[in-house]
Parts: sequence; C-alpha cells; structure tokens
Amino acid sequence: MVRYIINRLIALLITLFIIISIAFCVVRLMPGSVYEMGGDLSQTVIDALNAKYHFNEPIIKQYGYYLENIFFHWDWGNSAKIRPNVPVFEILRDRIPITLEINLISLFGAIPIGMVAGILAAIKKNTIVDHIISFMVVVFISIPSFIFATCLQYFFGFKTGSFPIIYDVSATGTARYASMVLPILALAFDPIARVARYLRAELAETMNSEFMLLAKTKGLTYAQSTVRHGLRNSMVPLANIIIPMFANVLGGSLVVETIFSIPGMGGLMVDSINSSDHMLTVAILVFYSLISLITILIVDLSYGIIDPRVRMGGKK
Amino acid sequence: MTLYEDNKELYDSIPAEKFKRVERDEAIHDAKFQTKPICFLKDVWLRFTKNKASVCAAIVILIIAVLAIFGPGMNRFKYDEQYPDRVNMPPKIPAIANLNLGIFDGGYVLKNRQYDSISDTTKYPNDCIINVTNPQVVNGVRMVDVEVDYYKYLGISDDECYWFGSDYLGRDIWTRLWRGARMSLIIAVVSVACNVVIGLLYGSIAGYYGGTVDMILMRITEILNAFPRIVIVTLFVMVAGTGMFSIIMALIIKDWVPTARMIRSQFYRFKGSEYVLAARTLGVRDMALIFRHILPNSMGPIITSSMIAVPTAIFAESFLAYIGLGLQAPETSIGVMLSQGQKVLLHYPTQVVFPAIVISLLMISFNLFGNGLRDAFDPTLRGAE
Amino acid sequence: MDKMNEPILEVKNLRVSFKTYNGKVQAVRGVDFHLNKGETLAIVGESGSGKSVTTKAILGILSKNAIIEEGEILYQGKDLTKFKEKDFYDIRGKEISLIFQDPLSALNPIMKIGKQITEALILKEKMSKQEAKKRALELMKTVGIPQPEVRFNQYPFQFSGGMRQRIVIAIALASNAKIMICDEPTTALDVTIQAKILDEIKEIKEKNDLSVIFITHDLGVVANMADRICVMYAGKIVEVGTSEEIFYSPAHPYTWALLSSMPDLETKDELFSIPGTPPNMIFPPKGDAFAERNQYALEVDFEQEPPFFKLSDTHYAATWLLHPNAPKVEMPDILKNRIARLRREEAESIG
Repeated sequence: MVRYIINRLIALLITLFIIISIAFCVVRLMPGSVYEMGGDLSQTVIDALNAKYHFNEPIIKQYGYYLENIFFHWDWGNSAKIRPNVPVFEILRDRIPITLEINLISLFGAIPIGMVAGILAAIKKNTIVDHIISFMVVVFISIPSFIFATCLQYFFGFKTGSFPIIYDVSATGTARYASMVLPILALAFDPIARVARYLRAELAETMNSEFMLLAKTKGLTYAQSTVRHGLRNSMVPLANIIIPMFANVLGGSLVVETIFSIPGMGGLMVDSINSSDHMLTVAILVFYSLISLITILIVDLSYGIIDPRVRMGGKK
Repeated sequence: MTLYEDNKELYDSIPAEKFKRVERDEAIHDAKFQTKPICFLKDVWLRFTKNKASVCAAIVILIIAVLAIFGPGMNRFKYDEQYPDRVNMPPKIPAIANLNLGIFDGGYVLKNRQYDSISDTTKYPNDCIINVTNPQVVNGVRMVDVEVDYYKYLGISDDECYWFGSDYLGRDIWTRLWRGARMSLIIAVVSVACNVVIGLLYGSIAGYYGGTVDMILMRITEILNAFPRIVIVTLFVMVAGTGMFSIIMALIIKDWVPTARMIRSQFYRFKGSEYVLAARTLGVRDMALIFRHILPNSMGPIITSSMIAVPTAIFAESFLAYIGLGLQAPETSIGVMLSQGQKVLLHYPTQVVFPAIVISLLMISFNLFGNGLRDAFDPTLRGAE
Repeated sequence: MDKMNEPILEVKNLRVSFKTYNGKVQAVRGVDFHLNKGETLAIVGESGSGKSVTTKAILGILSKNAIIEEGEILYQGKDLTKFKEKDFYDIRGKEISLIFQDPLSALNPIMKIGKQITEALILKEKMSKQEAKKRALELMKTVGIPQPEVRFNQYPFQFSGGMRQRIVIAIALASNAKIMICDEPTTALDVTIQAKILDEIKEIKEKNDLSVIFITHDLGVVANMADRICVMYAGKIVEVGTSEEIFYSPAHPYTWALLSSMPDLETKDELFSIPGTPPNMIFPPKGDAFAERNQYALEVDFEQEPPFFKLSDTHYAATWLLHPNAPKVEMPDILKNRIARLRREEAESIG
C-alpha cells in the first residue's frame, strides 16, 4: 500500500511538472513580453522584472530560470496587471481561502440534501415522488450553475432584496455569510442532483439484490433492511463520486464568482486571462491542476480504504 | 384439487372414443414460438416511445434545431447589423402585444417622470403609455413611474420590432439567439462527432490488438486524463485563438478518452463472450467479427454517451465565453450572449432570459433524450414492462 | 403418525401471473398442496414450471409485477395471500425461512458474517449482543463451520461457495423457524459439496423438528430427502405422492419421462430426453399442458384438462390415462426395468 501511494505521488508530481511546462510555453508563445508597457508599471520596473526573470534571454534559459525560481525560491513571478509588481503567490494566498470556503460549504451542504432526495426517490420508485425528484435531478444537472447564479441574483438579490446582490467584501460575521448564500446555492444545485441521482440508482439496484431478499426473509422490516443493507452498501461508492465533484464545483465557481464579484480564484482567473497577466494565469492554472490531481489521487486511495474486499485483498 | 371422484358423472360422460391414443406419424417437434419476435431496433423504438419525457425532449431538440437553421432568416435583421440609436430595446411582438398579456409588448418602465407631462404628446406620443405606477411627491412635484411601449415612445413602426429586443449595439436578439444556438450546436455536435470517431478508432485498436499495444495506448489516455479539463481547454484556446475551430479542437483534446475506454472495454467484454468464441470457431474472420458482432453491440452505449456529451460541450462553450474566451464579435454563441447579457442583467433582464431559456431547454432535452436512449438500448431491460 | 398428518401449511388453488410486455405470463395455474408437520415435501419440475414462484408467494417476496390472481395460502389459520408487507415481518424468519439458490450473491458483501447472522436475533428477538453472538457461534457449529470464532469476523468473500451456503442455512435457522423452504440449495454448488449440504439439511431438520419444502429440478437429489413429492409441470401439479409411490409406481406420463431421463449407474443406452419444449405460459394450452410432448397423449388430452385420479390416500395423478375408459398404457420399458432392479436391490440389501 505504501509503495502504491509513493508511486502515485511521483506520478502526480510528474504530471504537475508537465502541466507547468506546457503552461509556461503557452504563455511564452503568446505575442509580446510578459512585462510590458500599457499596465501600471513604469519602464524601470519593467526592465527590472524582465531582468530578474531573464525574459530577455532565449526561451530555454527562461524556462530553466522559471523552474529554478519555483523549486528553489518558491517564486512564481510577479503580477503585471491585476496587482502590478505583487508576487503571484501572495495574490493566490489572498484569494484561495474564500474560494475554498464557498466551494466546500456548497459541496458539503449539498451532500445530505442530495442523499435524502436520492433515498426518497429509490424507496418510492416509480411513484409521483420519484418522478418529481428524478425530473428535478435532470433539471439541476442540466442547467449550468451560472444560469442559476443569474436567476438567483436577479430574483433574490435584485427583485426581492432578500440577499445582497454581490458579495460584500467589507462585511463580517452574519452579513458576510448572508452575502455568500446566493453563490453557495447556485453552486449546490449540481452536486445535490448528482448525489441524488447516484444514490437513487445505486440504492434501487441494491434493493433488487439477492442479499436484500435474504434480509427480508430474515424478517427484517422494510426500514431495517433498507437502512442496514441497502443504504450501507450504496454508501460505499458514494465517497468516490463526491470527491471528484469538488473539481466540478470548482469549475462552476470560476464563473459564479465573477457573477457575484467574489474576490476568489475564479474571478482572478477570468481577470488574469482577460488582461493577459501571464505569470498569474500560469500559477492559477497550476493551482487548478493540483486540486484536480489531488482529488483523483484521493479517489484511487479511498477505494482501498472503504471497501473491505479491496482492503483485505491488499493485506494478503 | 379437482378430483375425478368429485365429478364422476361429468368426466364419465366424455365419449369413450375420445380416449384413443393420438397416432403420431412423426417425432414430436419443438413447440413453435408463439409470441411475436421483436427485432432489436424495433424493441428500442418501442421502449423509447414509451418514455414520454424523452419523446418530448426529442421534439424540443428538433424545434430548437429547426429554429437554429431558419430562425436568423425569419426577420429583417442580420446578426451583425448594428443600430446605435436603438440599443437595449425591449422585446415586442405586435401580435402578442395586442393581446394585452403584459409580455412582448415592448414595455419599458421610465422611472421618476413628472406626472404633469404625461399628457404631453410631444414627450409621450399617442397611446404609448401602458401603465402608470408608484405615484409619489418629491419636492412638491408629483412623480410617477411610466411604463411605455418603447417602440411607440421612440416612434418606431411595428414592422421594425425586435421580437426578443436588441442588445447594447442595437443588434436583434432573436436573430443573434438562433445564430448563437446554431454556432453552439455546431461546436457541440462537431466536437462530439469527432470524439466518437477518434474514440471508436482508438478504442478498437486497443481492444483488438490487446497486449503491449493496448497497454501503451491506455497509458496515454491515463496521462491525458490526469490533466484537468478546464486547464487544458483554457490553455488551448489561449494559444489557438478564440475561433470556432479552435474551440472545437479544445473540446476534442481529451474528451474522446471516455469513448475510447468504453469501446475498448466492450471489445474485452465481447472478445471473451461465448458467442464471439462460437463465431470464431466457425471460422468467421476478425474484421467480420468486429463489424458484425462487436461494434453493433456497442452502438447503444456509444449513441447514448454521445447524446449526453452534447450538453457537456454546449456547457463548455458557454463557460469559455464567460471567462472571456468565447467566439469573437460579431460572431455569437449562446454563451457569448449569456455573458454579455449578464453584464446588463439588472437593467435589461430580457437579454439574459432568452439565451438562458434556450440553453436550459437544450441541456435538459439532451439529457432526457440521452437517458431515454440509454434505457431503450439497455439489453437488460428488454421486454420489461 | 398422527402428528405427521397434521398440515402446517396449506396452499389452495394458487394462481400467480406476471405482467410483461408480451402479455400476462401465467406462472402458477391453480396449485394445491399441503405440508405436514415434520415432513419434507419436495417440489420437482423443470425450470419455469412455477415452483420457485409458489414459494416466493408463500413468503410474500414476489417481484412487483406479480399478481396473485386467486387462491389461499393457509398458515396457522391465516391466509398469507391477504397479508400486507407489514404482516409478513412476523412470518419471515420466525415462522418460515428460506434458503436461496445462489449463496454467492445472497450474502451482503460488505457486512461481516457474524453480523449477518446475529442481525435478525438482535433486531427481532431483542437478544443482547453477547447472547446473539453465542447463538450465532452455536449455529455456525451446527451447520459445520470450523473455527466459528475466527469466521465470525470475516467477510463473505473470504468464504467458499459451500461455506457461504452453510452460513445462509445458519441464518435461516437463527430465529427457530418452523418451516424451512430450500429453493434449489445445491444447484450453484460443486457436486462434491452438494451431498454434504444435503446431509446437513437433513440432519438439521431432524434435530430442530422442522418441516421442509425442498425445491429442485433434480429427482436424484430428492430421492433420499423427501417424504412426499409433488411433480409440477407448466404451473400445475401433475402428480403427488410419497417418495416411494413416485419412484416405484409413477402414474403420470410426465413423471415417467422425468424418471426415465434420470441417469443411474446401470444406464447403458442413450439417456431418454423429453421431446419438445415446455409450453409458452402466456398462452397456456387447452387441455393437458403436457399433451404436446406426451407420447401417450389421448385425444381428450387436447380438449379437456384431466382431473386428479386417486391412486391411494397419498397418491394422486392428473392424467386421463387413469380414466376407466382409457386404453391400458404401460410405463416405458426403461423405467419398468429400472424399478424392478431397484426393488431387487432393496430386497437384497434388506435381506
């Protein structure tokens, strides 16, 4: 098991390395220098930055220096346009917490709701309850989170004024959370629906299995057999769909954050692409890659931890 | 239990000649199969049409597709025609406006107007006022909100109405919407089709040859899969530019992998199956095996998964538009319209409403349609009620 | 002997159909039988003859598209066909338990064996955990599982097929059910394990004073298990009698055919096989369902269903061949020879 984890970690680092390389080359292939006039930087600062990051030298050398800066000095370069001459890493450090907060709340808030809906649908299979839930699931999965965000913003933010239209940067405590409600809600629809759909399918299949029949013939009541055998068995693979969903939510968050003016990673990525702040863009792309690689890794490892068949098999 | 003794008279009244052995001139044959056999495609069709939701979804897709083809030519506007004097017009369809339903009447609320000037026909041309609301007195002046038919207010004739309104450059949203739907659909369908073809070839090669070839090919897909989709797509569009072609390419880079894997696993599943083995022992050649036995069995999953891939591609396209990597003006797509409408949402919500409805309908319909197909193709559900 | 003849379960004129796409499949078409206290009743028939459906109806675990059209299942004076799902909770496990055909999929793959056995004890009998574990270990010993303490904490995938079937039997025994239904309990197992499991069931039955319904398609299996045998064909019982009566003086042509198609050590000629296929149960044939495949079919067979003819107090057969007007038909020669041989062997072994 330990060897397996180490292998996977090495593979992860290699992939990350490739992504950094591709991202860097892409950025350098774009026309113009990384630091150039037009932003808020003075010519002296531009010259200093270009010299510091060796952008006047051949691209191979630049790449070498870039890697060296990252691996030995943890220096991801300086921003050119968004926050001129501020180290990129510092910008990320300021932006990551709010994004994680919103994404994690919406993901973990969605799980119990989705589970209840999925269980209800499976138990009441082919009844009106099931049909309604299944239809809602299709609607929630189909409609992109930015459409939900737009609708929520217009109706609950603008028309009724129940919640702030945009995220309130200066607010603290309850007011801050109130301004986070709409984006969290907009992001939660998709995971709710996915959990519900998954659990409905899984539970319905488990309910048809032979061991459910055995549980029934033991004399367990419907509720007992459903909870002890049906649910328990359906939960095992649930973790494996929830973790990758985080990457999904994060993707939706890119746009939703811009809609609600949240100062997180999503808005930052959109801004940095639109204003061609290349060093920042590279760092953001690497951040997203890292998150997605880690989720894949966790899923693979969790297979072994949750399922006794795999766990015991590994031990032997 | 019906006993002979219980009803002796009845049973004994059966004429004695009936108790004769039936002479059988030939050996007893297997009984004929009495229920009608249903061929696979007919069965699929039967089960698909039973699913009302999927049928509705198919119809909706068809309608949107027809509108995407003919919609832009249905009125006098072109998608890139700008009218700087008619920007952000509300939607108006004269036929519907006459019904007084409160929609498509070109209504626009002018806030805080002097009440006294309402009757001034130079300011408010004949019967352009629809509604007067929210009376209040500010600094001794009576103020109201006036909802006017904006077209009459500006003196534009009914034949020049924007059915779905106009955007910030005075372009017709109806025309642009269907033009955009066309672009989005083309991007989605072309990329999905390419993915299917690539996945089919790649998966067949891996599945057919197996061994080292398979291992190498699968390693490649694993590496590709490790790259997050958002990052790859974004990077690619940043490099290749924001044209339709480069967006399609971006949606191909790694999206063919699931199809390839599925085809490969189908190959492995059927390679070992008894009927393929049987065909083999009968001397059926490999190519015939692939095309007559293995691939037809994979048709269901392929069609289903590509139906479900279409909305994903539409989503990806609008996502790119939102982060500023959409099609370049004056070209449009649903995503581009959404992200532009988003900017003026609070003032002109109709500019978001129409593209939002179309994209939602498209996504829901494709998902429902795909679900219906999946159930229809599922061999384990064959013949089930 | 009195006790033997006291019926504990009675099935009367049971009809079960399944709704399908092509029409209504009439799986069980009027089945009557009873199970006496302490006896083993075997229900024999080829696949699709409706034997499993009958037992599933007894336990109320028919699939959702099944309809009980008419009939009664009487247990302790109550009609189980009128039971709601909730009423069955006190029947299943406690009164009637079931052993499945396929032990490989009947156990929950991610629950420890011990927990699966004790579960019902704790939840239904309100035993404490320790008590339940003690009982479970006893049960595991009873069904012949070595090292029960170790096995108690293992998962099903660590068990072989035969071991799993033993666990399923232990679960069926856990709540002291009075009737045990064995639905082809050995079909999915290796031949070598089959005999062991059968002996186990037989022994447990004696020890716990159970009444057993044993379902199988294999007459060989029931030969030394069953007290009485019902032969089913196309959703109906065609012959019922004691084990002896069925094996030594079968009266229905289908039973003849079944017996002739059974191999034994002396079989030298080609083994007999029943020609044709079972009828389509969406359109069950008029008259005797077996007529089409019957070498001894009479004309009346194609027109009217035969009633049961009484051969002895325990032996009934539904065939027109037993009608006084019917021509005298002898059972096939293979069978006659075999029976004679068996009788001789038996006489020798006794003598």
